[in-house]
Amino acid sequence: MDFLVFWLSNVPSFAAPFALGVLGMIICERSGVLNLGAEGFVLVGAMSGAGVLISLGDYPLSAIIIAGASASVLGLLFGFLVVLLRVNQVIAGLIMVFLAQGLTSLISRNMGWVNKPFSGLGRLDFGFLTDIPFLGPVIFGQDIIVYITILLYIFSFYFIYRTNIGLQLRAVGENPDAVDAAGGNVILLRFMAILIGAFFLGVAGGYLTVVVAKIWVDGISGGRGWIIIALVIFARWQLWRSIVGAVLFGCIEALIPRLAAVGVQLPQYFILMLPYLVTLFVMIWSNLKGNNKQDTPLALGRPYLREERH
Amino acid sequence: MNYSGNILTKKRLNLEVREPLGLLAKTIILLVSVLFGLSISIFILILSGVNASDLWNEFIIYIFTSQKNLSAVLVQAVPLIIVGLSAAVAFRAKFWNIGIEGQMIFGAIAATFIATNDVGPESMRLTLMFLAAAAGGIGWIILPAIIKIRLDVNEIISTLLMNYIAFNFLLHLLYGSWRDPLTGFPNSQQYDTFENLPLIGWQSLNFSIVIALFLSAVIFWLFVFSRFGYMLRVLHSNANMAQSLGIRVGILIFLATIISGALAGICGFAVSAGIESRMTQSFFVGYGFSGILIAFLARENPIGILIVSLLFSILVIGGQSLQVFYQIPFAMVQLIQAIIVMCVAGSEFFIRYRISILKR
Repeated sequence: MDFLVFWLSNVPSFAAPFALGVLGMIICERSGVLNLGAEGFVLVGAMSGAGVLISLGDYPLSAIIIAGASASVLGLLFGFLVVLLRVNQVIAGLIMVFLAQGLTSLISRNMGWVNKPFSGLGRLDFGFLTDIPFLGPVIFGQDIIVYITILLYIFSFYFIYRTNIGLQLRAVGENPDAVDAAGGNVILLRFMAILIGAFFLGVAGGYLTVVVAKIWVDGISGGRGWIIIALVIFARWQLWRSIVGAVLFGCIEALIPRLAAVGVQLPQYFILMLPYLVTLFVMIWSNLKGNNKQDTPLALGRPYLREERH
Repeated sequence: MNYSGNILTKKRLNLEVREPLGLLAKTIILLVSVLFGLSISIFILILSGVNASDLWNEFIIYIFTSQKNLSAVLVQAVPLIIVGLSAAVAFRAKFWNIGIEGQMIFGAIAATFIATNDVGPESMRLTLMFLAAAAGGIGWIILPAIIKIRLDVNEIISTLLMNYIAFNFLLHLLYGSWRDPLTGFPNSQQYDTFENLPLIGWQSLNFSIVIALFLSAVIFWLFVFSRFGYMLRVLHSNANMAQSLGIRVGILIFLATIISGALAGICGFAVSAGIESRMTQSFFVGYGFSGILIAFLARENPIGILIVSLLFSILVIGGQSLQVFYQIPFAMVQLIQAIIVMCVAGSEFFIRYRISILKR
């Protein structure tokens, strides 16, 4: 029973970065921009969050917002490459990852941010509500970002499926010619989608350092950006399915430290492989189940240029 | 393309697809973009506290005036050439092999297994290690290849996930039963002398350069003169047409990925038996990314790969001395590579499109 409470109460804080990242990715890719740079945006966010806490003082919420903003700065560069210069989106995404790995390593070393623990963001305490057995710690014992994430999902659901601009966003990922003909601004829509998407990926990264690890080391995201991309495919670019995926991965990641704590004898490095193995399995399984093609935004990965219209 | 979004403006930017440019114009645009990338990199280096004159010394004088450093550049170029070829073969089949590092790890694991367990006679040991490494690399790409062809699972993500799995398995071995019994360090025990690639008589240059040149020649033949290369070109330009022409696309992609995996595995062997003389826990770091960037810059052309690998190698060797003298992290080298590739990728825009200002 204790095992279950500990485990479940840790799930949300492991699921939140996945949920935030997938949200950003869906907004970006719904506009038709394939974003393989997720790992890079997450890394930049993670480093900036840690950097704010170490160099500017103990402002965890500002740190997370700045984490998102600095990922958006990298998003500006990505947008410039893929939307304006029409660079191959696969190459541009990979370049973002390499660039972010080099940049975060260089900046954090020069600023002396590596391996410096900080207090970060703690969990909320709702008093008697948090003391309710079982449900208390699971539902009322989380940090504030978890609750904000849930609100963000509700808002994004409304935004994407119920507003005019959300409709334009979805349309530009399916048929940019039609949006252009109807007077929409393809370039602007895609650029905004990239910036917003990068912001959420950066927030996810900031969450990893500010809330979870409370320290920065090179490559701290450990491939979570890639898992996020896999989750987007699993979720078929739909918000409600992405929550399922994020919670699933939250459960697995929260299980890893728990297993060691209750003394399950498994070789350490095999346990560390688990998230990647599960991701691989999920990708195979979701492609075995059915045809993903019909859910993929039609224009995903294709640069738009009026002159090239048929 | 109307960037202003306002029909009433007097002038607007117009973007149109150009007639294909000549070789000279293309080369000029390429050179300008590389120079642009280099100047950004130099700017960042100077910001990090390196003297401009020292840069010239470290990257040009230091390397080209000493035989020792020149040979170090050639030794370092070998693994870069092989990963460049590995990435190029896969890209030709439109298979984005991001898992080169994982395949290198399994190549090195297989080679090290042969070495530490003394499989086969001593005279055949290196050959066996070479073959085992190729098999190890193939073994690690076969799953992503099959699920890509059969189930259309995105290979970029699957090969990348396989990297993390391979890395954790490597750590499991090196912190477990494969730990060096003599020193207790988490790397494999040192290879015997006959398990290292022999020196070929000039400075530190060893036999791996012969392997790299041989592999480049084979891939060149494969791309330019073989049926296989011809079918790959058809596939690369139009997958649907390849299908209608009766080319068995699935098998073609499968073969290309197998070759790519084998090359990556061989690279793991070349680093372990040619440079480090053992399997360490970080021998592969950065090669996957470099391979992709090299193949991209060289347009998957084996001769181009030789040239770009040499340039990247100068960057790596110069970067190592910056690391020693200025404590510039090695990530700087990766950053410079990414910046240059970004500028070159961006420059294609000016090759493909013409921008003009239209007056209404």
